[in-house]
Amino acid sequence: MSHPEPNQDTNTGKLASLTARMDEAIAALAESTLAKATKLRRLFDAVRKVILLEGGAAVIEQRAPQMEAAGVFLGSDWAYPEILLPALSSYSLKSSETDTVIIEAISELRLLAVAKGAYEHPSVSSEQAHHYLTQVMAMNLDLLFGTMSEAERETQGRLALVTRALFRHLAERIGYEHIIDQLVDEIWRIVQQRPIQVGSVKQMITQIAICRANPDIDLGSSGQGADRLISSLYGTTQACREDPGVAVYYERLESMDTGALQYEASGFARAMHDTGLVSPYHAVLMRYLLDHSDHLLSEALGLSSTGRDCLMCYDDLVRALIRASVYPETAQAIYGISLTLERGILYQPPVAPALWRQIHLPLSAWSKERLRLVYGDNPLPEARLMEGVLCMLGQPLGVGQGNNPTCQSARALSMWAYNDPDYLLQMVVWAARDDEIVIHFEGQPISSMASLTGVASELSVDLDPVSLLVVPHLDRIYAEMGRRCIGREGDPHRWVNPEFHGWWAGRGFSINVDVATGKLTDLEGFLRHFYACYHPFFNRSQPLIHPQPAGVAITDSAARFIGWHAITILRVALDPQDVMRVYFYNPNNDSGQNWGDSVVVRTSGTGERFGEASLPFEQFASRLYIFHFDPLEQGELARVSSDELQRVMDHVYRSWGADRVPAEHLQAAAENPQAPSPPDPGGV
Amino acid sequence: MSNRDNNVRNPEKGYVALLGWSLNAIESADKFDRRYVVVAPDWAEAYCTEHNIPYVPWNFERLNDRSLEIAQTLQDMGVDVAIPLFEETVEWAGAINSVLLDNPRLFGQAMLLRDKALMKRRAQLGGIRVGIFEEAHDKQDVVRFLKRVNQTLLKLDGDPNDPIHLKAFDKAGCLGHRVIRTPDEVDTIPDEEFPVLMESHLDGWEFAVEAWIHNGKIRFLNISEYVTLGYSVFVPATPELEKYRDQIRVQIEKLIKTFDIEFGFIHPEYFVTSDGEMYFGEVAYRPPGFKVFELLERAYGFNAYQGMILTFDPKTTEEEITAFFPKEVVDAKGVAGCFGVYPRRRVVSKLEIPSETEDHEYFESHELTAPLEETVTKRTAFGTHWGLIYFFGDDPHTMRDLLKRQEDLDFYV
Repeated sequence: MSHPEPNQDTNTGKLASLTARMDEAIAALAESTLAKATKLRRLFDAVRKVILLEGGAAVIEQRAPQMEAAGVFLGSDWAYPEILLPALSSYSLKSSETDTVIIEAISELRLLAVAKGAYEHPSVSSEQAHHYLTQVMAMNLDLLFGTMSEAERETQGRLALVTRALFRHLAERIGYEHIIDQLVDEIWRIVQQRPIQVGSVKQMITQIAICRANPDIDLGSSGQGADRLISSLYGTTQACREDPGVAVYYERLESMDTGALQYEASGFARAMHDTGLVSPYHAVLMRYLLDHSDHLLSEALGLSSTGRDCLMCYDDLVRALIRASVYPETAQAIYGISLTLERGILYQPPVAPALWRQIHLPLSAWSKERLRLVYGDNPLPEARLMEGVLCMLGQPLGVGQGNNPTCQSARALSMWAYNDPDYLLQMVVWAARDDEIVIHFEGQPISSMASLTGVASELSVDLDPVSLLVVPHLDRIYAEMGRRCIGREGDPHRWVNPEFHGWWAGRGFSINVDVATGKLTDLEGFLRHFYACYHPFFNRSQPLIHPQPAGVAITDSAARFIGWHAITILRVALDPQDVMRVYFYNPNNDSGQNWGDSVVVRTSGTGERFGEASLPFEQFASRLYIFHFDPLEQGELARVSSDELQRVMDHVYRSWGADRVPAEHLQAAAENPQAPSPPDPGGV
Repeated sequence: MSNRDNNVRNPEKGYVALLGWSLNAIESADKFDRRYVVVAPDWAEAYCTEHNIPYVPWNFERLNDRSLEIAQTLQDMGVDVAIPLFEETVEWAGAINSVLLDNPRLFGQAMLLRDKALMKRRAQLGGIRVGIFEEAHDKQDVVRFLKRVNQTLLKLDGDPNDPIHLKAFDKAGCLGHRVIRTPDEVDTIPDEEFPVLMESHLDGWEFAVEAWIHNGKIRFLNISEYVTLGYSVFVPATPELEKYRDQIRVQIEKLIKTFDIEFGFIHPEYFVTSDGEMYFGEVAYRPPGFKVFELLERAYGFNAYQGMILTFDPKTTEEEITAFFPKEVVDAKGVAGCFGVYPRRRVVSKLEIPSETEDHEYFESHELTAPLEETVTKRTAFGTHWGLIYFFGDDPHTMRDLLKRQEDLDFYV
């Protein structure tokens, strides 16, 4: 299809003159110091005209660094691309507000420039930008392939042409044929980490399914890998193959014999354990089995002998849990129940009675309101919370912090679910029923009601039901603990972490950054000590007993320092290739990250359990800056070979430590004149 | 923001005070080489502190006993001159400058420039042509004036009246401006609007002038062409209006002499009738509305606020000011215009820029916002527009026709 474009010359001419105007608008914005807001409109209007022309989006992509430098995003969320959520892009792009559509478009094109390596951004790496754009396209496949809907025409009118032009360009640059395949890979990569929050994953899969079902859209050979994902949600089994709707499916169940039911049960269970995603039809089956079959429940939950044993011991409780939580809208509860049973935690004496309490728990008005606000009215807020509790108990490493600076609180929830489930259940009760949590700090009670502000000034709602209710309390308590440490010398996490997370967090505390100057301090001693505490070859093969809070310096794919981050060290062990690895939990929603300088965090393929992230021990040590230990088991500094130690230290110096070398080793400092930031009490 | 701190301010040059809050004016001063301070009401304090803007709080109410206080404060700071940014701060600038520059006449001059009736009398005394005008204290005065004007025009009962114009004495631009054609319409004027100035209607071409004056001489003279008063303006004007430039310059020089203006910036309005006669409308001693300064910057590339600072600053040198201003008309890179949008329907639900406007190659940007209320308040006077649309292009005639065309379009539907 290469018929000559009759308007080619006029288009080129127009593009040149409009580009010149856009450049003037960028310059006017850049020159403005105090009145930038008043110069934005001119740029937005210029961008809108340029993007509609053939080749216009490419021009904007090229100008993206200048636009960002001029301050086009200043004062808005787009100024922090690292916090942007792909799921929200749909709202901006389909908005009826021109400015919102335009700034979103500029932001996507900027990230495209970052993804393509043309623009080195201080806070997003090219891989992150790439992930982000793939997801944005996934969420908006209709904009890419579909024709303009009546609704779009009505709310957006000609504005819809802007998003079409944007998506055409994004797809051309990234490659149409790869989008679906990349997207499928991306979904698998996320699903393999078994997050609790799967709403956006389900949304992406639904989009692919809709595209594939639409005869007007030709996906060619791409998207084959999506079959398993789609079938885990729709058409999982024989009886719901053509996605007939839950009512029809229920009728079909009524006419099935035991053999057919068993076939359905095992089909769902397989799909669920394959993907971590649960089909709404699965919920219908579960409710049917409650009333009609005694022995197929375990089949439908896909239990091993451990889980089956637990189910038989606590049959009444499990049935009550299913009744209280499993609806087509809360189907993920099934996965939560299954994994909770497999973990065997019901055998811990307080857990079963605590779950009975949870089943009958009256929620405060505020809790109900908050759950309703985020998840809607159907099913009731109590069922949503129950689903959330079961998922958190079943998938402790699937807790994510959402788009909030509350990694501490997310880490605490995950750690309790993992290590102290009945304490977690107690926290949920206090938060959901009483709207107040009290935690003691050095003997003094701290109430979440009395502490006014937390780390997060306001909490976004992209959270699981438990986090949604509990995190606001935890966050305020955590911030208050920090405030009570003001004036103490050194990093407050020394005191806060053990009091906040639990008695098992070591009271011993080691940090390799001087809080006052932000410079590295005694790096070698720090590393030898870490090896001695955590590395099985240096600690007499003692496996880690309790999950331990730790702090890492996060770097981007160019190994540039981004910020301090809270994680949990879960275990240290040899992987299938006999490489010693640290397996850890990252409250960030996606643990698969490239930290630069060949440090790539793995989430699968090297012995990781679901939800774990891992790095070879040396590489992990090179990003670590805080760890806890038991002061009574301190031991002596490990005799790590000087080669190995040097490799770790070189990793530090090449990445986040580049500008933190103290004055006595000044050689590296001259290369990076930026002042290092001291550790931030909020981040770790 | 850090580059702002590097901006070296020349201690040899004047130190100016900006009276009133205008972000564009402040930014222009901030980027210029002179020391400056913003004098504004106390709500501006937080913004000034946050952005490190030099600031003195002052509430510009009516002049009173404390007026000397602000003059004293600024004098103690070493400020050389005060620059009014709004109509309401013109008399303040006069009062303050009479102290700072030790010239009591400046205050009287400012009062003259603030009162439309006094201003016309003074112009008349200076031999400048003005229309028929009179003050009205109540509705009766208006009816009488309307009748008398039309009698003068030799109209008979039943002939359509020539309209008269009513304006507030001391408000900027079109605020409070009404057109009255019949005695019935007089009843629609609320009592609280009195007293007002009444003027006969002049059938002619209305235009405005922006003149920067230094040492009593005109340093830059712009003619702003109105396509329709209250709707649109563009610079530079069409050749048809620019052909009067020499005559206009003579008029402005008369005005300068009559009002004894040594320095600063004036913004007078005139009518030119079909026989080429110029009638003086009014004059303001502050930047014009309708973003004319921004249009000038777009057309010529010079910063009109900085030009204003130069003309006010007593320490500005002859060379400096000559180098600053471009040559009128010939140095313009193009024609810049803007159109003020008023909703045309009584009930509106959304903003929808017509595609012919948006797609026009002259279209540059707009600052319209979605309607907050569905019912449009009925316009009695020339009210405030809902936002401006900016255009830029090469040809003044195309610009004029384009702006005229906008009057027939709906932006709010």
